[in-house]
Amino acid sequence: MNSSPPSRRTVLRWGAGATGALAALPALTACGQTVGAARTTRQAATRPGQKVNLVFWTWVPMQKTVDLWNRTHPDIHVEMQTIPQNVQGGYQKMHASLTAGNPPDLAQVEYHELPGFMLVNGLTDLSAYGADELRDSYVPWQWNQGVFDGRVRTIPQASGPMGLFYRKDLFEKWGIEAPATWAEFEQAARVVKARGGGARLCTFAPNQPSWFAAMCWQRGARWIRTEGDDWIVDMNSDLSREVADFWERMVRDDLVFVGPDMSSAWFRQVQTGQISAWVGPQWGDAMLRSNAPGTKGKWRVAPLPQWTRGDNASANWGGSSTAILQGTRHPREALRFAHWVNTDPEAVDLNISVGYGWPAATGVFRGSALDKPDPFFGGQRYNDVFTASDRAIDTSWKWSPTTDADFAQFGDAFGAAIAGGGSLAATLAGAQKNTVDNLLAKGLKARSA
Amino acid sequence: MSTAISRTKNRTESRTMKPTPGGRRSARPDRAAWTFLLPFVALFLFTFVLPLGYAVYQSMLKPVRSGALGLGPATVGFAGLDNYSLALQQSAFLESFARVLLFGVVQIPVMLMLATALALALDTLSHRWAGILRAAYFLPYGVPGVIASILWGFLYVPGVSPVVDLLGRVGLAPDFLGYDSVLWSIANIVIWEFAGYNMLVIVAQLKAIPQELYEAARIDGAGAWQTAIRIKLPLARPALVLTGVFSIIGTLQLFAEPLVIKPLTSTVTSSYTPNLSAYNEAFANNNIYLAAAESVILALVASVLSFGFLSLVNRGKGRDAR
Repeated sequence: MNSSPPSRRTVLRWGAGATGALAALPALTACGQTVGAARTTRQAATRPGQKVNLVFWTWVPMQKTVDLWNRTHPDIHVEMQTIPQNVQGGYQKMHASLTAGNPPDLAQVEYHELPGFMLVNGLTDLSAYGADELRDSYVPWQWNQGVFDGRVRTIPQASGPMGLFYRKDLFEKWGIEAPATWAEFEQAARVVKARGGGARLCTFAPNQPSWFAAMCWQRGARWIRTEGDDWIVDMNSDLSREVADFWERMVRDDLVFVGPDMSSAWFRQVQTGQISAWVGPQWGDAMLRSNAPGTKGKWRVAPLPQWTRGDNASANWGGSSTAILQGTRHPREALRFAHWVNTDPEAVDLNISVGYGWPAATGVFRGSALDKPDPFFGGQRYNDVFTASDRAIDTSWKWSPTTDADFAQFGDAFGAAIAGGGSLAATLAGAQKNTVDNLLAKGLKARSA
Repeated sequence: MSTAISRTKNRTESRTMKPTPGGRRSARPDRAAWTFLLPFVALFLFTFVLPLGYAVYQSMLKPVRSGALGLGPATVGFAGLDNYSLALQQSAFLESFARVLLFGVVQIPVMLMLATALALALDTLSHRWAGILRAAYFLPYGVPGVIASILWGFLYVPGVSPVVDLLGRVGLAPDFLGYDSVLWSIANIVIWEFAGYNMLVIVAQLKAIPQELYEAARIDGAGAWQTAIRIKLPLARPALVLTGVFSIIGTLQLFAEPLVIKPLTSTVTSSYTPNLSAYNEAFANNNIYLAAAESVILALVASVLSFGFLSLVNRGKGRDAR
């Protein structure tokens, strides 16, 4: 199982021989190396009493949890390093470290990124280190997000069941109720526009394809599936187009703001009440709490509006796992930490307080910090809404191994469509074609549905 | 035949020998020169030729998948020019070139004219004010591009920016991050960053002009304006050519500014410039082979444009001399 370094070393040798650039060409006849992680995981031998050091990359400020681990586990020291959030640099850093052969032992990887990491052999086969025995501690669908070909590849951390955050005080002022259906949602938006003095109900963020994916997920669309060894892309279905048409009407009729969410401009609008609602995930509570502390007590959470009255369909936005990257020398120790950080009640409580999301471990919600009336939400036990939402998520949704590229192109097309007066629904066909192309460019078998 | 060759040989020898005064040259002049050049040559090979060669090599590879759904172990195969044709088929990648070309056609002349005007003004101004102003104009160059972009970004975002706020109060509603305006907002950042730097290069060239020329011009009755247009500008030409080439290369490599502005607006796409496109292929899409092909295409276009610019201005110079 020789991995790729030979190629790099060979090329360097040619360079040292100063034969110049073209000398690299003969190598083309001899490309037998593997793609992806430069180093494979192998358990290093440890002497008794030796302290193992692990490096953990995450963008959630979990230092307190890590400190707790270091206090209670003197034999394994974990060093937490804060990395840029997801595609804003975090994954770039991880992929570069895998290619270079110096990855951290553990890293936060979102569920929709896992197939992409599988393509570069970036995740340690945890079944080889006994991970299968841990299965019962986790919500089944979240556990299955990290199982490929029957082998466990990651430990689930948290998810993001969706709900509706809204400003109760403003809704009362304008005489509107929390909308139960999308039609009511649109009606509420019209009222806010008429009475709000420049305010809008919410923002449509073209830069957030994973949010739009969640909207389609709720509607019942499935963007990707597999048949045999083929990846079948189905983003341009009637169901997805229905969702696109709905939001396009909201944009065209000027019922929503258009712009990036969770940006400085957006937070400013949240702080000043220009925005009075957010169709967001459970981890959005921490976003609002930390960025708009002045609005404390005015927020409430309602279930996600439904397409058909009386339905109970939900969706997920985000959700991460604690991955043990390919190339670690301490997979056993890393697995111990990954399991502890996601299941230990005290650890989960600390994680929740910093916005880590909806725990993937079963049985930790009751009695945790989440299971309390919250002053920020006016004393509402708002997580009851997300508990119900979590149960209502259709868990057959699958992700493409090229999600990053697909989403980047999708976001670009959305932005262009809105700026150019084009149709959102029409971009779905282009997104579908791009996704098939991205899969093919990676050497996979793919086609449109 | 042989006589002809020996004659030319003699002629070249005599020509090369002629300028060396004192007859005998040092025993091994070549070796000394090479010793001095060695650090440069080594650096050039390791930081330029080698990475370039490696990029060309990578650009001709592709992954070959196996296993269920292609998620099994993959090997590297020979792709030929597939990556290049794939890159050239992506409309977003081609559009990014059109975008930076449009950007360069507008931004480079504006910036260089500004830099030249500042340089001429400072050169005429004497005393300590010139020094203080020169330092002040140069200061933005000392601010890293990323920091400059964050700074300007805050001045562009509505709701946060005091500029947008003030303009709003007088009835203007500028959309600095709009679909049609964001490119020029980025141009503004680049001009702010580099006008002072280019000015300094031009000032240095102006300082090198012999004072006798100015005296002669004054005796001939030329005023400050005429001296600037007829003497200073033509003699500052090498500096303008140099800053022109730097600006062309810099424009094609536009990266940090759009990357920093991107989270503030959905009008900056993930393949807004060729560099950004290659960056996304390499690190977001994790397709280093396609990214390598895009980078090689970018390097080719940059060299064609900068050498084209050089030969264009040099042809002009030859005509002037005649």
